[in-house]
Amino acid sequence: MREITLSQAVNEAIAEEMRRDPTVFLMGEDVAEAGTPFKVLSGLVEEFGTERVIDTPISEPGFVGLAVGAAMTGARPVVDLMFGDFIYLVMDQLCNQAAKQHYMSGGKLQVPMVLRTNLGATRRSAAQHSQSLQAIVAHIPGLKVALPSSAYEAKGLMKTAIRDNNPVVIFEDKLMYQDKAPVPEDEYLIPFGEAAVLREGRDITLIGTSSMVQVAGKAADILANEGISAEVIDPRTIVPLDEATLLGSVKKTSRAIVIDEGHQSYGVTAEIASRLNEKAFYHLDAPVLRMGAMDVPVPFSPALEDLTVPTPEKVADAARRLCAGEMIHAA
Amino acid sequence: MPHEVIMPALGMAQDAGRLVAWLKKPGDPIAEGDALFEVETDKATMEVEAQAPGFLTDVRAAEGDDVPVGRVIARISETAETAETAGAALPEPSAPSETAKKPPASAPPDDLPEGRSVILPALGMAQDTGLLVAWHVSPGEEVAEGDVLFEVETDKTTMEVSAEAAGFVAAILAEDGEEVPVGERVAILTAEKPTAPVRQKRSAAGVEAPQSHEAPAAPKETPATERAATPPVATGGRILASPKARRLALEEGLDLARLVEAGHPQPFHVRDLEAFKTLQDARPATAAAAAQATRRITADIHREGFSEFLAWAAESEGHADAPALLAAFAAASFRSGREHAAICVIVERFGEESRHLDPDRAATGRSAVPDEDAPAPDLILRDLRHVSISSVELGAEDAPVLTIMKRGEGLAVTLECGAGHLSAAAALELVSGFTGRLEEPLRHLL
Repeated sequence: MREITLSQAVNEAIAEEMRRDPTVFLMGEDVAEAGTPFKVLSGLVEEFGTERVIDTPISEPGFVGLAVGAAMTGARPVVDLMFGDFIYLVMDQLCNQAAKQHYMSGGKLQVPMVLRTNLGATRRSAAQHSQSLQAIVAHIPGLKVALPSSAYEAKGLMKTAIRDNNPVVIFEDKLMYQDKAPVPEDEYLIPFGEAAVLREGRDITLIGTSSMVQVAGKAADILANEGISAEVIDPRTIVPLDEATLLGSVKKTSRAIVIDEGHQSYGVTAEIASRLNEKAFYHLDAPVLRMGAMDVPVPFSPALEDLTVPTPEKVADAARRLCAGEMIHAA
Repeated sequence: MPHEVIMPALGMAQDAGRLVAWLKKPGDPIAEGDALFEVETDKATMEVEAQAPGFLTDVRAAEGDDVPVGRVIARISETAETAETAGAALPEPSAPSETAKKPPASAPPDDLPEGRSVILPALGMAQDTGLLVAWHVSPGEEVAEGDVLFEVETDKTTMEVSAEAAGFVAAILAEDGEEVPVGERVAILTAEKPTAPVRQKRSAAGVEAPQSHEAPAAPKETPATERAATPPVATGGRILASPKARRLALEEGLDLARLVEAGHPQPFHVRDLEAFKTLQDARPATAAAAAQATRRITADIHREGFSEFLAWAAESEGHADAPALLAAFAAASFRSGREHAAICVIVERFGEESRHLDPDRAATGRSAVPDEDAPAPDLILRDLRHVSISSVELGAEDAPVLTIMKRGEGLAVTLECGAGHLSAAAALELVSGFTGRLEEPLRHLL
């Protein structure tokens, strides 16, 4: 199968959906004529023109609000938010408007909008351009949240997101845009709420999101050399969450580590770990561990920044301790 | 002093930029702040401004070129005349780092050829070393400027490193697969064809292996020894066990307290349940002995009044319910200390079993309850008066067992129970009370 980058996969997904459905349009800062953020959207303005690929002013609350209105009145906007950190600017448009219209209108209104943005540290972009804020969005009922872990997921999830009649926020990892993965030429969609078991294992379940799936995979490689068999699962969407697959795996392995690049406290890892505790308690042979980013603003210093995120070595070490039956104290 | 125009780093994770367009032509006069060219990175397209006034000269990159960050692509000179035609060669961007990074002192005094050093470049901000994936040239080979010399892999990417000048590969100082610190010399290029080109491994050059990749090996051992030295956890009476271990122990009837007694370190996990297998042998000596300890009391009644009483009851009342009467006698003897509790007695006769709830308090013959309504028995009564069994030693059941057997003209009563069921005094009281009632049933009515 051909291999393409995550950038190309996202580009293909949006282009295919724009060809399929004339109500799909793209909007955001620099999406048309300034080279496009991270070069993901290059070529789209040439194909679809400036009526459907719209450069906006630097005004996130304005254009996201505009997208909510467009979605309510029949269009399917794909909005580009250049950095995930800018989510803070659009909280009202996203959480008070987009997330609640369907409910508050008694089902008369729909907001089929996709907010495309990113997450991930270690790009040396400092504290205001390095955050992973998926937990903040996932907390709000009415929003779906997808976290692609490779080019394959990025394409399949984006197409599903565009066709979904609800607001969907997709976080792509900034450092993965150039990572290649096999992606079929033929059209495919990845349904929401369906986790992928990337590697089967016996001793421990490593649940990773976005680029942390790679971290989990590398940790599983390290552990395999030591005779510890780790199962690696990518939930792919955290809202909705495929609980059945996660619980099934944990009931089999009786141990789990949940890894996500958001800050560890009050985060995605906490939610998933809590559900495992509640629903698989009598199958657990060790506490479910959370591994997230350190609870600090992301440092600019490369040496410090690298210390704040989960790494394969840290995950493998924690897994080793759990499997050895070591007493794990609260972090 | 001419000013060098370099490819700027527009992002911290950027290795190269694409020169989209020149906005000035060679020879053009430049004012400080003029836009010189447009560059595109992974994030955006930007205009790069002149840092000094002068004339644009020595343009070395064409539109569409991908240029590594830091490379000199032009000059801003005091005159429109190009420096190259004036005979002054444009300095290579690697020159400063070359002088800064002398070969390590531990390297053997070179019989290495003199020439231009090729160093392992820094491809990212967080990079200490690079993996030399493969050489594309061999010693002695002639290379042109821009020819790919080798491939290097970092944590993020694999990149080709090109020759910055034409020449000959006089020495290769690191082999495929070796991890090389950033800035270390990996090759030497000479202008003349070398007479004796060198090829050696880094290790052969006596260079220490990079620390960052060897270091983890040593600390890896420490957690293991720490684990072994961890003292048993103080539990304060509660047994520390994982939820799954606790559930399995319950399902399999394993008492985790026995693991504690055996000195098995807590917390217990599923794997610790294996330890029960080795405990099996020790069982009779320890806890098992206590569990099996039973009380057995036997009493003989030489002249029983029960049969006579039964016959009298049958005659006067019109019926005689032997099980209910026996249950009533047993419950009454068992009642002491249980004044407010319900007592359930099972009476077993061969082939028949009946359950009686508070038989000592119910009207005669009205105590029997259906099996499904009865609680767990407090007392089991085995009526063996009509069979020829003279002695039993069957061990304790879930409840104390009273067995009645025929013994000559009288009866024999045996009580068997676990030590946990009844204290010795209560057991004696039960047997003496029960035998007393069998001897003189009228006592029961009083």
